[in-house]
Amino acid sequence: MRSIWAIAKKEFIQISRDRRTLSLLIIMPMMQLMIYGYGINTDVKHLPIYVYDQDRSYLSRRLVNAFTQSDYFTVRTQATSLAQGYSALDKGLAQSVLVIPPDFTANLVKKKTAQIQLLIDGTDSTPANVALNSSQAIINAFMQNEKLIPVQVLPIDFRPRLWYNPDLKSTYFMLPGLIGLVLQFLVPMITASAIVREKERGNIEQLLVTPIKPYQLILGKIIPYIFIGIFIATSIITTMHLLFVVPIHGSIFTLFLLTLVYLVVCLGIGLWASTIADNQQQASQIVMFFAMPSILLSGFIFPLESMPVWVRGISYCIPMTYFLKIVRGIILKGMGFFDLIDQVWPLLLMAFLVIVFSIRRFSKRMA
Amino acid sequence: MPDIAISADKLTKRFGKFTAVDEVSFEIPYGSIFGFLGANGAGKSTTIRMLCGILEPTSGNGKVGGFDVQTQPEEIKDVIGYVSQRFSLYSDLNVVENLTFYGQIYGLEGTALSNRIKEVLILTGLDRFRQRLAGDLSGGMKQKLAIANAILHQPKIIFLDEPTAGLDPLSRRSIWELLYQLAEGGTSLFVTTHYMEEAERCNTIAFISDGKLLKIGQPAILRHQLKDQILEVACQPLMKASRLFLKLEGVRGVTVYGTTLNLNVIDQKTVEARVIAAAAKEGIVISSIRPIDASLEDVFSDLDSRKAEHA
Repeated sequence: MRSIWAIAKKEFIQISRDRRTLSLLIIMPMMQLMIYGYGINTDVKHLPIYVYDQDRSYLSRRLVNAFTQSDYFTVRTQATSLAQGYSALDKGLAQSVLVIPPDFTANLVKKKTAQIQLLIDGTDSTPANVALNSSQAIINAFMQNEKLIPVQVLPIDFRPRLWYNPDLKSTYFMLPGLIGLVLQFLVPMITASAIVREKERGNIEQLLVTPIKPYQLILGKIIPYIFIGIFIATSIITTMHLLFVVPIHGSIFTLFLLTLVYLVVCLGIGLWASTIADNQQQASQIVMFFAMPSILLSGFIFPLESMPVWVRGISYCIPMTYFLKIVRGIILKGMGFFDLIDQVWPLLLMAFLVIVFSIRRFSKRMA
Repeated sequence: MPDIAISADKLTKRFGKFTAVDEVSFEIPYGSIFGFLGANGAGKSTTIRMLCGILEPTSGNGKVGGFDVQTQPEEIKDVIGYVSQRFSLYSDLNVVENLTFYGQIYGLEGTALSNRIKEVLILTGLDRFRQRLAGDLSGGMKQKLAIANAILHQPKIIFLDEPTAGLDPLSRRSIWELLYQLAEGGTSLFVTTHYMEEAERCNTIAFISDGKLLKIGQPAILRHQLKDQILEVACQPLMKASRLFLKLEGVRGVTVYGTTLNLNVIDQKTVEARVIAAAAKEGIVISSIRPIDASLEDVFSDLDSRKAEHA
């Protein structure tokens, strides 16, 4: 017991004197928050659109206005020729081009069908879909507002409601996930480094000769990093809530409890990496290797549902996959511990396996 | 308390086909300094590791502090101190923090710990450097700190693996003074070294080569055994002379010492004559030739060459 405390205290002193690691621990989460909070935004808005209005009538101007007023489009230029529009699409200056023919108003007045064309850059399918759907909605609303079609009473009153994130803000989606991401990268890295540093500097041999037991060494090494992990999680949650105004609907206690379980898994990964690596460089490479799939396959950005079954199989072996559901579930949906039990038990299992496995491996090295 | 601190009985360690330590046996009493000499890779560190209980022997027995190395390695760790070859300090912790850490690992705490730390700091002369980071200490100071860490729990047996490697002569001397003090207090010290002049400072020394123990004895006695076997020849040109004399009958080995050659010979009288004759023939000028007492290095190279003869 005393030995565990001695090791933990030594680790704390070493960490506090290690300027480089300390700044990494504080700066890296904040940097990620800034990048994902301000920089990356999957909301597709303000798509640049060129308008080639050959009609130039009161009605056509009101149509263009409808596009201008939409959040989804930003009318960049009134084009003077079709060629200009095509060129804009090619060069990427416009994502779509609205073409209004000269007989637009004439046809509507004669109660004939007026044709409008929207050319969309399909290279990036996400904004293309948005352009497609929102332009349709704008046209429909325009037709209703200008009384071009009779006011209809529709047989089905369809009212979709967006729960949890009604404004579809991507920050609500991304930022809670950041807790999982940062912990997955930072915690194994610094834990593995800490242990390997002793190996590198020959301190392990000296420890081997003392009465200390392997489990005491491991626990003592892990304790400071549990605190650090909690600190990182807390700083992300606080910044996310205060700066980015992401509301937290669920229980903070459950959030921290389950973050702790996830932390143990991350620590275990770091521990395991330290038994393989001979120096700190190798340790960080190994951790990177295991943490990289987490970005792409855990559902952090890309939904699990859109992955083929065999890839999803890999996802289900990644701890962050479960943690993301937990953290988003608690923060955005206000889920409770038992609602999340399907995500909790795999994490507990992983935590148990990785710790036991690593301790066995570590003890063998020491003995 | 038994008066044998460390004993080894045909202690052997094999790594696959390679035999690192080959049936090594010895007995070391308390209150003495035992020197284990040998080249790098001869098996010194492996032997120490087995005696410390951190490496399992392939065969043979050993007892350290009354505990068996095969069956009671954990008990051994409680009663020994170990100073490893590389500085095993925490360079980002200061002197006191290092000592506190190891003290706690060995079960000391509270005022007992702080008092003991104070004692040890004074004993090793590190008192002035309490707050200094271990990484900022000089080589000699670092090693003293390593020794200090090892004696906090007042072990009666201390293993030191090349404690003065890489240190300047003054630091080396000061560390040996510390070791003498500890031995005087009844502690048994097991020291490995490949500095022959340090071997002179031990009570008993053992030579190990390729895993085999070549000889054990007190330095003076070992040197005496080679009495009448060393000829010192001052001559020019030195290297040509050394090559020449090596081929002479009765000359077992030649060691170059700056301006003189030490010849390890079978019989001083006959070989002296042969040397003078050979030198005259090849135009080598001998300024002096006389029998001298053997040094430990002579003892070691003598053993080595005898081993080569038997191989």
